[in-house]
Amino acid sequence: MKVLMFTWEFPPLISGGLAMACYGMVKALLALGIKIDLVLPTRELVYFPLREVSDVDTLPTVFLDPVQQKEYTRHSFQTVQERMEYIGVTDSPETYYQLQDMRQLFEKVHTEFHSVEYENMDEQELWDTMTANLVGEEDLIQKVQEFTHRAQRFASELDYNLIHAHDWLTYPSGMLARKISGKPLVVHIHATEFDRAGGPGDDRIHKIEHSGMMYADRVMAVSQYTAQMIVSRYRIDTGKIRIVHNAFTVEGDEEDLSVKKRIFKDVMVLFLGRITIQKGPDYYLDVAERVLKTHPNTRFIMAGTGDMARKLLRRSAQLKLKNRFLFTGFLNRKQVEQILRAADIYVLPSVSEPFGISPLEAMAFGITSIISKQSGVSEVVNHAFKIDYWDVDLMADTINHLIENPELRHKMGVDGMKEVNLIQWSEAAEKVRKVYSEVLSAFLKSNT
Amino acid sequence: MLYVVFYFQVHQPVRLRHVGVLDVGKNSNLFDDKLNGEVLRKVAEKCYLPTNRLLLDLIKKHEGRFQVSFSITGTAIEQFKLYSPETLDSFKELVDTGCVEILGETYYHSLAALYDTNEFLDQVALHRQLMKDEFGVQPCTFRNTELIYQDRISDLVYEIEGFTTILTEGVDRILQWRSPLFAYKNYAKRINLLLKYYKLSDDIAFRFSNRDWPEYPLTVDKFVNWIDHLTLDETQGRNLFLNLFMDYETFGEHQWAETGIFDFMMHFPAEVLKREHLAFTTPSQTQSLANYQQESLSFPDPVSWADEQRDLSAWVGNDMQTNAIETYWELLHKIKAKGDPELLRIARLLSTSDHFYYMCTKYFQDGDVHKYFSPYDSPDQAYIYFINALADLEERLH
Repeated sequence: MKVLMFTWEFPPLISGGLAMACYGMVKALLALGIKIDLVLPTRELVYFPLREVSDVDTLPTVFLDPVQQKEYTRHSFQTVQERMEYIGVTDSPETYYQLQDMRQLFEKVHTEFHSVEYENMDEQELWDTMTANLVGEEDLIQKVQEFTHRAQRFASELDYNLIHAHDWLTYPSGMLARKISGKPLVVHIHATEFDRAGGPGDDRIHKIEHSGMMYADRVMAVSQYTAQMIVSRYRIDTGKIRIVHNAFTVEGDEEDLSVKKRIFKDVMVLFLGRITIQKGPDYYLDVAERVLKTHPNTRFIMAGTGDMARKLLRRSAQLKLKNRFLFTGFLNRKQVEQILRAADIYVLPSVSEPFGISPLEAMAFGITSIISKQSGVSEVVNHAFKIDYWDVDLMADTINHLIENPELRHKMGVDGMKEVNLIQWSEAAEKVRKVYSEVLSAFLKSNT
Repeated sequence: MLYVVFYFQVHQPVRLRHVGVLDVGKNSNLFDDKLNGEVLRKVAEKCYLPTNRLLLDLIKKHEGRFQVSFSITGTAIEQFKLYSPETLDSFKELVDTGCVEILGETYYHSLAALYDTNEFLDQVALHRQLMKDEFGVQPCTFRNTELIYQDRISDLVYEIEGFTTILTEGVDRILQWRSPLFAYKNYAKRINLLLKYYKLSDDIAFRFSNRDWPEYPLTVDKFVNWIDHLTLDETQGRNLFLNLFMDYETFGEHQWAETGIFDFMMHFPAEVLKREHLAFTTPSQTQSLANYQQESLSFPDPVSWADEQRDLSAWVGNDMQTNAIETYWELLHKIKAKGDPELLRIARLLSTSDHFYYMCTKYFQDGDVHKYFSPYDSPDQAYIYFINALADLEERLH
C-alpha cells in the first residue's frame, strides 16, 4: 500500500502540534509496512519517499526534475541539516512565486484530465467553492495557492493507491490529486478554524475545510470532540467520519523523566504552549490570581510565545501578581524539558483543543495535570483533572487542593505517568490502516 | 551678579543580563558584566576622560574663577574601579583643584526616598562614606536621584548632619510667577534650595545638535548673550544663580564630539568671565551669596527632571513599573532582615532607578529618550528580566 501524503508541517519543518502528530503517525505507519510519499511546503520541487521507519529522521529526498535530481545526487552533505537547507526546508515555509488565479489552474486541470463534464452538480459546486475561497493577498493564502499549484505534478507523476491530506492547508492539494488520479482521498482534521480562532474565524478557511471534507472519501478526526464539531458545524455525514486519537511517545528513559529538578522551593504551576486565544492563557492568569490569594508563595509560569503574550504580561502586572507570575519567552526543546522537570502542576485551559499532545508530555514527566474539558486529550486519559476552561473557580480550588495535599498530587502524577506510557502510536496507526483499507476496498468495488 | 552654577550628574547603572525563568535558583551572576564593561569603557573614552581633561585645563587657566560641581553615584565609582581606573583618577585630580564641589546622593541612584526611609538614609550614608574614601570630602549639598524632590524629602535630608543645600528641578507648576534664578528655602525654611533653569540647561543637554531647533547652531556668543539678558530684570542688586544641571554624559556621549560640544565648553567660561557682572560658583556657596531674604517654596507632590511632565511617570508610570517597584521594596525589606551582606549588595544594585526607566512605555518624544538609554529590546523585556531577577533573589533568601 502506498500513500501520497500532503502535510504543512513535519519535523524539522515547523515543530508545532501538527508536525509532532504527523511524525508519530507516519513513523508508526511505516512500521506497519505502508509506504508514504510525503509532500511538504519546501522551496525546491521535491518529495520524500519514506519506506523504512528510520526515514522519518533522515528524510530521503527526490527532485521531480531529473536534471535537478542528478545535481542533487552528486552533492555530498555532511549533515541532514545541510541537506534540508539545500532543498529549502526552513522553520516556516516561504513564498517563492505568486500565482495569478486559482480558478484558471483548476479549469486547466479539469480540461486536461477530465474532458468530460463534472460527475455531478455537487462536485462542481465543491470545486467552485474551494477555488473561490482560496484567494487573498495574505502570505499564508499565497503559500497555499503555490503549494496547491505544485500538487498537480506530484499527483500526476507519482504512483500511489490513495491520498492523505492533513488540515485545510493541504485540502486543495488533496482534492486536486483526487481529481487528477481518481484515487480515494482521506482528509485528517487536526484542528478546525473554529478551534484556532477561538471564535468564528476566517470564512474562506471554513469553506475550504468544508469542501475538503465533503470531497473526501473519509474524514479522520483526532477526537470525539472534533468529530462532533465536524458534524455540528460542517454538517459532514457521520458515516464518513473516523476517530483516530493521537498518541505520544516518551523519548528517553521513563524513570529519568520523573526525577524533579526544582527551580522554586514552593509549588510551581505551568502553562506550556502558544500564548494565543485558543489555548486560554487569559483563563490561566485568572486562575493564578485566585490561587495566589490563598497561597501567595505559589509560582505560576507561562511558557511559550504568542500574540497574546504582551497583553497578558501587562495584565499580570496590573493585577500586582508580583514575581509570582513569570514568563519564559521562547523555549527550545532542551529548555522545555527543564521547565517540565521543575513543574508540579500542569494546566491546559484551552478554549477548544481538538486533541492537545502537550498534557500527555507533562504527564509523562509525572506532573499532575488539569485539562480543559473542551479538548480531545481529555478523552484518552483518566488520571488528570478535567475541568471546563471557563470554570476558573473550580480550577483554582483544584490547584489549592493539590497545593495543600502534596501526597495526592504526587500519586496523581505517578498514576498519570503510568497511564500515558501505555498510549502508543502503533495503536493509532492500526486505526489509520483500517481506514485506508476501507476506502481502498470501496474504491476497488466501484471500479469493477 | 549672576552666578552660573554647573552641576553634572555622573552615573552608570549596573545593567541586568537577560535573566530567564530557568536561571532562577542557580545562584548565577544576574548582571551583564560584558555589556557593563563595554558601556563604561566607551563612555569613559568618549566623555569622562576628554571632558575631565578639558575641565581641568579650564580650571587651571581661569585660576579659581571657573568652578563646577559633580554628583557621582556609587555604582559609577564601582565600575570605574573595575573597568576604567584612570577615569576615577581624573575625577580625583579635578576635586584636588579645590574648584570642584562633590554632591551627596544615594549610593545606588535609587528611588528609596519614595519607598523606604531607612534604606534611603542607609544609601545616603554609604555614598557619603564613599565620597570621603575616594575624594576626602564631605558633601554638604544633596541632590536626590533624577532631582526627585518633595517637602518630606527635604525633612529627611535635613535630619542628616551636614547637608545645607538641595538641588531640584525648576518646575513651572511650583514656581508659577517666580524665577528659578533666585535661591529659595524649603517649605520649612531650613534648607537652601537651588532650582534647575531647565530651558538653558536643556539647550545644551538636549537641543545642542538638533538641526530642527530654530536656534541651531548654538554658539558661545549667543548663549552668553542670553545669560546676559537674564540679568536685566534684576534691578535691586540681588545675586542671581543660573543653575545649569545636566548629565555629564552630555559631553561627547549624548552630544558627540562632532557636534562641537567640546569647543562650546572650551570657550564658554572665558566668554562668561569677560563680563563683569557674570561669574561661576558652586551650590554650597550660594547660601552666603544670597544677599536677600530667601522665599520658601513648598513641593507637596514629588517632582523630577525627567520628561515633559517632570514627575515620577518615567519610573512609576505604568503597571509593569508599579508591580516591579512594589515587589522590589517588599523583597528588599525581607533581604535586609536576613542580614546576608552579599545578598543585600546584589539586591541594592537592583534599586537603581534605571531598571524602572527601561520599563517606561511613553512612546512620545520622551519614549525615544528612554529607548536610547535602554539596553533591552522593549519595556516588556526589561520587566521580564527584572521580575525574574527578583524571583531569583527571593529563592536565595530561603
